[in-house]
Amino acid sequence: MRPARVGQLLAAAATAMLVAAVLAGCGRRDAPGALAVSAAASLRDPLTRYGYAFAGGPVRFSFAGSDQLAQQVRQGAKPDVFASANTSLPGRLYAEGLVERPTVFAGNRLVLAVPARSEVRSLADAARPGVKVAIGSASVPVGSYTREVLARLPQPGAERVMANVRSEEPDVKGIVGKLTQGAVDAGFVYVTDVTATKGTLRALELRRALQPSVSYAAAVVRGTKHLARARKFVAGLVAGEGQRELRAAGFEPPPR
Amino acid sequence: MTGPRVFSVLLGLALAGAVVFLTLPIVAIFIDTSPGRLVESLGDPTAREALRLSLETTALALAIIVLAGTPAAYLMATRDFRGRAVVQTLVELPLVLPPAAAGIGLLAALGPRGILGGTLERAGVELVLQTAGVVVALVLVAAPFYLRQAEAAFSAVPTSAIAASRTLGAGEASTLLRVVVPTARPGLIAGAALAWGRALGEFGATLMFAGSFRGVTQTVPLAIYERFSVDFPAALALSAVLVCVSFALLLAVKLLTGRGGAVAAR
Amino acid sequence: MAPLLHVEARTQLGDLELETALVARTGECLALAGPSGAGKSTVLRIVAGLLRPEHGVVRCDGRVWLDTTAGVDLPPERRCCGFVFQDYALFEHLTARQNVAYGLRDRPREERRVRADGLLERFELLSRADARPATLSGGERQRVAVARALAPEPNVLLLDEPLSALDARTRARAARELAAVLRDAGRPAVLVTHDFTEAALLGDRVAVLDRGRVVQEGEPAELAAAPASAFVADFTGAVVLTGAARPGPGGLTEVELDGGGRVRSTYQAEGHVAVSLFPWEILLDPPEATATSSARNQLVAEIVSLTTVGGRVRVGLAASQPLAAEVTADAVRELDLRVGGRVVASWKATATRLIVV
Repeated sequence: MRPARVGQLLAAAATAMLVAAVLAGCGRRDAPGALAVSAAASLRDPLTRYGYAFAGGPVRFSFAGSDQLAQQVRQGAKPDVFASANTSLPGRLYAEGLVERPTVFAGNRLVLAVPARSEVRSLADAARPGVKVAIGSASVPVGSYTREVLARLPQPGAERVMANVRSEEPDVKGIVGKLTQGAVDAGFVYVTDVTATKGTLRALELRRALQPSVSYAAAVVRGTKHLARARKFVAGLVAGEGQRELRAAGFEPPPR
Repeated sequence: MTGPRVFSVLLGLALAGAVVFLTLPIVAIFIDTSPGRLVESLGDPTAREALRLSLETTALALAIIVLAGTPAAYLMATRDFRGRAVVQTLVELPLVLPPAAAGIGLLAALGPRGILGGTLERAGVELVLQTAGVVVALVLVAAPFYLRQAEAAFSAVPTSAIAASRTLGAGEASTLLRVVVPTARPGLIAGAALAWGRALGEFGATLMFAGSFRGVTQTVPLAIYERFSVDFPAALALSAVLVCVSFALLLAVKLLTGRGGAVAAR
Repeated sequence: MAPLLHVEARTQLGDLELETALVARTGECLALAGPSGAGKSTVLRIVAGLLRPEHGVVRCDGRVWLDTTAGVDLPPERRCCGFVFQDYALFEHLTARQNVAYGLRDRPREERRVRADGLLERFELLSRADARPATLSGGERQRVAVARALAPEPNVLLLDEPLSALDARTRARAARELAAVLRDAGRPAVLVTHDFTEAALLGDRVAVLDRGRVVQEGEPAELAAAPASAFVADFTGAVVLTGAARPGPGGLTEVELDGGGRVRSTYQAEGHVAVSLFPWEILLDPPEATATSSARNQLVAEIVSLTTVGGRVRVGLAASQPLAAEVTADAVRELDLRVGGRVVASWKATATRLIVV
C-alpha cells in the first residue's frame, strides 16, 4: 500500500476509536446488568464472596474508605448500592436526597492490632514513646471511631498515643498493610481485618467502656437502573447470604 | 472530498479531540473554584504544609536523580557494553510499573520486612513513614523519565564534537562538562521537567511506602485525596494550586530551553 | 631532515584490513588520497589517538604516542594534534572566539586572548568573533575550525577533507588560505581527500590509498606521470600546472605558465591559477608537425618516462613544468616515442581547467 493510503487508514481508525471511547463512556453499563456496589474497605472479603453467590446476577465492587465513596456519590457517581462502615455517611446522603433510607446490617469491633509476635500487649504499651502507630484519617469511619476511643481514654494516654501516630491512612486496609509490612508496631482496625490476616496479626481487645458503637449501614442509590436487584442485594446483607458471609468473617449482628 | 483533504480533516479531528480531552479536566478545576477559594486554600496550614512538603521532597528527589542519573545516562549513551539493552530496559521498568506496584516493590525491598530491611535498620536509616521514604518513592517513579531523555540527549551530541574537544586537550571528564552537557542541555532540562512533574503528582507509591501524615509524608496529592471526602471545594482549590505550580514549572522549562531549542531541533 | 611524524598501523576496518606505514616531515604536507572507504580518515584518527589500531606505532618528534606492542597509548588530549574535522565539529554553544580559544585553557588569560584574537584576525574572523557557529557561513565555519586547530600550536596538523563541504567558489579561496597555512605552519601535516586535484594542490607528497593499503607514494607529478597501477592512473587523473592568468583575445583567458609557455583557456579566471588537464586529453605529435587549429594549446616537451598501464601508456613529459599524457600502445609505436625524444603536446582550450589559487 502506498504510504498516503496507510496514513489515511490509520487516521480513520484513530478517529473511530476516539468516537467509540466517547460513546462507551456515555452511561453505557460495563456488563449488561452487573450491579455496581460501593462498599467500605473492611467489607471486602465477605462482600466479594456474597457477590459470587448473589442470585440476582453479577456484582461489580468498588472498595475504598466510606468517606471517599460517599463523596463520589455526592459528586454524581451512580453505584447501585452504597455500603458504609458507619451510619452517619449514608444518613447524610439520605438527607441530601441522594440515596434511599439506609438500613443497618452489621456491627464490628474496633481493636488494637499488632504483628503476631509483638511486644505491644496493651493500649498502655501503644502509648509508650518510640512505638509507631497507624490510624485512619479523621473522616474515614475507622479513623473517627479511633478518635472516639482515644477521647474516652484518660488524658495523658490519649495524647501519647496520638503522638505515636505515624500515618493516617485513607482506608482500613492501608493500616493493615503497614502492620503486615512491619512499618508500624500497632494500628487501630476492625477485628474482622485481623481475622482476615489469618494469624499474621493479633487483635488486642479494647475495654467495653472504650468500645465505640460500630454500625454498618447500606442504602440503595436513587436513580439506579437496577432498583429491584439493588434492594434484593441490601436485603441479603441484612438477612440472607450476605449476612451469612459477614458472620463467617467475624462481623457482629447489627447493634440494637 | 479528495483523498488528501479527507486525511487532513481526520488529522484535525484527532488533534481537536486530544486537546479537548487533555485540557477539559484542568479547565474544569478552575471553573469550579473561585479565586477567593484558591487563596483561602493557600492560607490553610495543612495545605501549606502539604505544598511545602511536596516542593521539598520533589526538589530533593530531582537533585538525586540529576546528580546520579546524568553520568549513568552518559555511560549508557556513549559506551556500548555487553548487556546494555538489558540495563536500559531495567532502568525504564518503573515507567510501566503501576504506582501501587512500585509502592509494594519498595516495601518488599526496603521495608522493615524487606530484603534490605535489616541492613537499613542496622545502619539506623529509617525510610518507611518518613520524609526520606517519600523521597525514595519519588526517585523510583520519576528517575526513568529523566534517564530516558538524558540518554537521548547525550546520544544526539555529535561524536566529532567530542573528538574535537579531546584533540584540543580536554580529557573525558572535562569534555563532559565543557561540551557534552552544554550541548545536551535542552534535552536534560526537558527530562528534569518531566521527572519533576511526575514526582509532583506521585500518589500510590508514596501512600504505600511512606504513609500519609501531615507535615511528614502527606504531599499535595495525598492531601487532595484526604480533602476530597471531607470538603470537595477545598480539594478542588488545592488541585488548582498544584496545577498552577506545575504550569509555572513547565513554563520555566520552556523559557530556559528556548534559546537552545533551535539548536536542538537541528 | 628527519621525519617528524611516523605512523605504522594494521587493523581491521569492517571487512577490510588497513595496513599502512607513512611519514611526514617538518613543514611538509602529506596528502592521503583515495576513494571513500579506503581508510584515509582512519589513519588520521589513529594519529590523533581517537582510534586504537590492533597493531601500530605512532611517533612524533621522537616521542612515542602509540606502541601497541609496548602497551603505550597516549590519550588524544596528551598528543596535541590540530585536527580539522570534515564537518568542522564546532562547539555550537560557544562563540567563534570561544571555539578558537578552547584549546588554550591552561594558559594565562591574557595570553589566551591575544592568541585567539591574533588567529581570528589572520583568518578575517574578528568581526564575527562573538557570533555562534550557527550564524556563520560555510566558509567562516571552516576558517574557525582551522583557527581552532592551530591555536594550541599543535605538533601535527590533521585535516579531514577540509574543503569538501564548501561550494566551488568558497573552496578556491579556502584552498588558497589553507595552502598558506600549511606553508607557514612549519609542522608536519597530513591531509585527507578523495579529490586528487586537491591533493596535488595542497600536498607536497601524495600517498594514494586503496582498500586499506598505500598503492603509491610520491610527488603529485610523479604519480600522474608514472602511475603504478590502473587504479592510480584512474585516480590521479589530473595534471596540475601553475601560472598567471589574464583576460585574452576572443573572450579566452590567457595563462602565462610559470617557467615559460603560454596557453589559452575557455574558463574565466584571473591572477595566480592552477591549470588542470587530463592526460587523455593531451595529444602528442612529432615536433615537426605543423600547428593545427589555434584553439589548441601547445608545449614542446621532452619524454621523461613511459609507463604501461594495462592497454594504456602514460608518457611523463618535461616542459617548463612536468606533464603527463596518456596514449595507446599503438600510438607509442606509430610515433616512435622513446625516453629522451621530443614531442609536441597539445590540448584544447576547452580542456584547460583553471582553479584560482
